[in-house]
Amino acid sequence: MSEEGYFRHAEAVMGTVVSFLLAEDGLAFTEVLAATEKAAAELHRLDQIFSLWREDSPMWRLRAGSLAAEELPPEIPAVLALCAEVREETGGNFDPWALPGGLDPTGLVKGWAIERVGALLQGAGIPAGIVNGGGDMTAFGRPPAGPAWQVGIQHPWRRERLACVVGLAPGQSLATSGRYERGEHLFTPLPAAGSVRTASVSVVGPSLARSDAYATALSVAAAPASLAKMLPAGYESYIVFEDGAEEATTGFPFADPPPDGDDNRGTPLHP
Amino acid sequence: MTRLKGAFATLAAVVGFAAVLVAHTLIGSSVPASLRSAAGNRPGGSPSNSSKTPTTTVPGPAGVTGNHIVTGKVTGYGYGEVAVRLQVDNGRIVSVKVAKLLTADSYSQQIAQQVIPMLAREVMAAQSARISAISGATYTSEGYAYSVQSALDALKKG
Repeated sequence: MSEEGYFRHAEAVMGTVVSFLLAEDGLAFTEVLAATEKAAAELHRLDQIFSLWREDSPMWRLRAGSLAAEELPPEIPAVLALCAEVREETGGNFDPWALPGGLDPTGLVKGWAIERVGALLQGAGIPAGIVNGGGDMTAFGRPPAGPAWQVGIQHPWRRERLACVVGLAPGQSLATSGRYERGEHLFTPLPAAGSVRTASVSVVGPSLARSDAYATALSVAAAPASLAKMLPAGYESYIVFEDGAEEATTGFPFADPPPDGDDNRGTPLHP
Repeated sequence: MTRLKGAFATLAAVVGFAAVLVAHTLIGSSVPASLRSAAGNRPGGSPSNSSKTPTTTVPGPAGVTGNHIVTGKVTGYGYGEVAVRLQVDNGRIVSVKVAKLLTADSYSQQIAQQVIPMLAREVMAAQSARISAISGATYTSEGYAYSVQSALDALKKG
């Protein structure tokens, strides 16, 4: 896409980098900058509520049992209610209550926060854009060309290549979960029995909070292909397994083959 | 933005710095003059001119034919020196690597090593003619960032 008419910003927050790609059509540069600053401030505020690395965060204190009821920010029960729904929807494969270190909604919070900030930017009059938190993103408004934003999915073991390209329609989100960046950071609540592990799982759907959590659940599920078909309507997934096999649900929005033909989808994969 | 401090400021500075460095790399090599649109060429208040608002705006090498490997000048930044090597294949940046990295301390080195792969992705997305963003597994850990923060705080006090 052309850089013309788009504002880019990268914000270090929530233990990762959140990047903003925002259309400026009809707006003054200072308006876009002000909206971005507000969005970034909101991400820092939510980080301060949910961080499990700060002993003064409400989430940390809730776990420690030292948070008074009147100090509970409304964001925490809202997120935990969503976590409980997702736990049901994923048959327990996403379960923030089953983690060894105690209640940890981190697998949903980042997507939830980015989704919220995307809505905030739209409310501020930004006509279109993508907010991308370390690879998990929400897209809104008219794409630079065609009906969908073109988004690449990083290949799990060929760092310089894409596994495929997705056409992300306005109002849709995309989250990718994988074992390749942080090593064995994914905890498996339901151990797999001799099945091939996933290398990379991507989920597309309307809510980034859910896409993020579903991608985590599919990454650790004993039978991810079966779970993928059981997800709520509107959520589609694409899985690359460690043996190189790929599996996608029928509605996963692969981009049409690009004119330059460099979409890697369908080429043999070798670890 | 305005809330960056400590390790986050370092992260942001590396991102902002390295984005500018990539632009310098292109400008400083044998790339045609038509490509020499510097990063952040926006008049007044350009984010990439400010360490508070790092951006990854970079010019793409569209129009360059053939395969080229170009290395940027070794450039100093707040926490050390870095040089970036780009491989350009028929108008596309196909890889971004660090040719040289000297840091004042091991914490800065760890931060730079975390940030640079992220930057590489951002650069590849930014210069692509058709890709708006790249999705992938999260590349930095919150615990890591906070432990770096605390270590830097301890260093400052010490």
